[in-house]
Amino acid sequence: MTSGGHERRWAAAILAALALLALLPLAAPRDDVLNFVFLILLAITLAESWNIVAGYAGQVNLGHAAFFGLGALVTRTLWTDGIPVLLAMAAGAATAMLFALVIGVAAFRLRGAYFAIGTLALGEILRTTVGNVLPQISTLPAATIASYRLTQRYYLALGLAAVSVIAVTALATSRLGLGMRAIREDEEAAEASGVGALSLKLTALALSTALAGLAGGLFAYYHISYYPSHPFGPQWTFDALQGPVLGAVLYVVLKEYLALHWVDIHLLIFGALFVAIVLLLPGGLVQATERARAVLGGSRRAA
Amino acid sequence: MLEIRGLEAGYGDVPVLSGVTLAVGAGEIVALLGPNGAGKSTLLNCVAGLVRPPRRGRWAGTIRWDSQDLRALDAHLIVQRGVALVPEGRRLFGGMSVQENLELGAFAPRAWAGRRAALERVYTLFPVLAERRRTAVQALSGGQQQMVAVGRALMASPRLLMLDEPSLGLAPRLVAAILEALVAINRDGVAIFLVEQNVPAALSLAHRGYLLEGGRIVGEGSGAGLMANEHVRRAYLGPLAVRR
Amino acid sequence: MILAQQLLLGLLIGGLYGLAAAGLSLVFGVMRVLNVAHGELIMLGGYGAFWLAALLGVDPFASLALVIPGALLLGAILYWGLFGFVVRAHEETRVKNSLLIGFGLALALHALAVRLWTADERSIPTSYGGAVLSVGELSIPLVRLATLVLALLLIGALQLLLSRWRWGKAIRATAEDWQAALLTGIDIRRAYLLAFALGTALAGAAGTLVTVAYSVSPSIGLEWTLKALIVVVLAGLGSMMGTFVGGLVLGLAEAASAATFGGPYREIVGLVIFVVVLTVRPRGLFGR
Repeated sequence: MTSGGHERRWAAAILAALALLALLPLAAPRDDVLNFVFLILLAITLAESWNIVAGYAGQVNLGHAAFFGLGALVTRTLWTDGIPVLLAMAAGAATAMLFALVIGVAAFRLRGAYFAIGTLALGEILRTTVGNVLPQISTLPAATIASYRLTQRYYLALGLAAVSVIAVTALATSRLGLGMRAIREDEEAAEASGVGALSLKLTALALSTALAGLAGGLFAYYHISYYPSHPFGPQWTFDALQGPVLGAVLYVVLKEYLALHWVDIHLLIFGALFVAIVLLLPGGLVQATERARAVLGGSRRAA
Repeated sequence: MLEIRGLEAGYGDVPVLSGVTLAVGAGEIVALLGPNGAGKSTLLNCVAGLVRPPRRGRWAGTIRWDSQDLRALDAHLIVQRGVALVPEGRRLFGGMSVQENLELGAFAPRAWAGRRAALERVYTLFPVLAERRRTAVQALSGGQQQMVAVGRALMASPRLLMLDEPSLGLAPRLVAAILEALVAINRDGVAIFLVEQNVPAALSLAHRGYLLEGGRIVGEGSGAGLMANEHVRRAYLGPLAVRR
Repeated sequence: MILAQQLLLGLLIGGLYGLAAAGLSLVFGVMRVLNVAHGELIMLGGYGAFWLAALLGVDPFASLALVIPGALLLGAILYWGLFGFVVRAHEETRVKNSLLIGFGLALALHALAVRLWTADERSIPTSYGGAVLSVGELSIPLVRLATLVLALLLIGALQLLLSRWRWGKAIRATAEDWQAALLTGIDIRRAYLLAFALGTALAGAAGTLVTVAYSVSPSIGLEWTLKALIVVVLAGLGSMMGTFVGGLVLGLAEAASAATFGGPYREIVGLVIFVVVLTVRPRGLFGR
């Protein structure tokens, strides 16, 4: 696997950066700095998780927020009931993954545009249902708020980002990853060479949604109060799409900056920027990933 | 006059044609023979503009029609210049009627004005289509569909008519009918460039022919000359050759 | 409310679902581009009608005469500036890119609308707004009835355009087989442009009718995109009338489910039908 070396070097660079970031809290910075980096880490995890299905199964999942939301929902419910947060997060991830596998078999019978709109609809179904069933805002009990420590969340985010990078790299350089890329290139040809397309796609989906579920769990652990249907919103899918397009880091940086100074229209600017970038990068998503990585990592990659 | 010189082309990184040079003169019937996968369809698609030069990768050589380079033109403009292709598998607009399909053949602005006259010419050539002009083409037989396909290309009043395997899947009687039509079309002054696997049929009406194997021209000659050619007989005429 | 009344109201909005879907179906069928910002175009059409009424006092039904050409122009601009580039890629990349672009465009337009006009719901009060036709136990709101009739007329007009107009036939041919269309001398990029402009015009008209019969706000975008998608999948591509009927079916299904399960689940039934039809018969009920 000629690309293995690149993938590994890139992963090593990110992990090194993450390791450095682990030292950040020791320098006792302000909370807003930690919050900022936290958001970047969450975005990285979300973007990596989405890209598994896009980059490896070749499908555009416009309902990714559903899994993020499910992870948040289950984690929040269990954790506020007294279950240790890590266990709650694991349960959240498991729920998201299970849901994905159940609908995945049917969903993967769809291709291209149909898969995208099917997942879009699914996301909306969940958002509306949760919004109807749980319309009240979810707020942490006072005791929990009193014992809230940002650094715990911070390290968890760091760990999750690291896990997602390792998972994606391991996938990319494995036999599984090769098979998935074959499917993305030409599914029929891959099937003819003995690659079981459906099971590989389901594996990609499982990993993708498990990570998204964990990210959702992190969201639930981090926020003090939010509406339960909020993490199911299309805004989160959009966030997840940023990885390959703008780069998760760049996205969060820009977003936070714009949100500070251009509160009303930052989403407008993002939409426009996003569209422009997709347009200007011929060959689409995969090339964008490669270019974004080359730009962010300063490394040369064979196209 | 169609002049192809040193054409190298392919899809993406896969080369299909290497250094192809051939010509079709005004009023000629030229056959292009060769085994499956030799690149015959690709060649026609290149001329018709369906295969475009990629931004990277190989594409060399020239395709000139009336001394104009066709490589730079969009496919629909090539049709307007007088080069029409009857593609492999006919590619008709299934849900539309015979008449609608034919009319669309004259879509180009200049052709559109003269479409009624062109339609009459096609119906004269293929009377069975006149009877079925309102039928949806997907309800027609293979032979009739092929007639529609040829008729549709004729509606653009081309000076060069290219056909990709017109006899594919047709019964011998129908193949003969199509060939007869081609002879009539040629008599009206239309040059014909014919890709055919049915070698005897193709050579029976071609003035000249080329042999394409593995993306290269490996032989050329007159219709009769190729018919008598040892290699051609062995490779393409099989037991027929022995019986002769 | 009795069931028949609810079903009637469902039928009345179903006509607009059909109109909304027709534009989306046309564009997808011809260009294989699924514009997930279609709902936002409907929303913009609605605001167009609203501002024409609020600022210039133009009657909303009359404003169709202004909104439709305006939307045609907007569609052409969006094609030239955006989607026209997407169609240059081959099929797979084209689908992915158009989805992403549509998604980004939808979010951008939504944010723009919120910025310009706030998130408030707007509606157009008219002197005839409350008029009702009583037939037995049923009360038929006349404005909504008018929108149903207009939706049907607009779709009929589209159908006519596609079958009689030279470029309408070119659009159909391009939708069926773009390479064959090229070979008959059709400039398929012009066909794409026309299809996209027409699709946007239909969206604009739908938006106007939605606003006069109900209301408009920035958030109706995603809602209507999904309605249109549901109908397109339900009805399949290729038949404008089929799409219209699909819209009516959705409207009725929603009304039936609201009557049975209660209001909040009205939205869900549509989406669930959608997902079910997608998995069982992706080509739709009437699709080829």
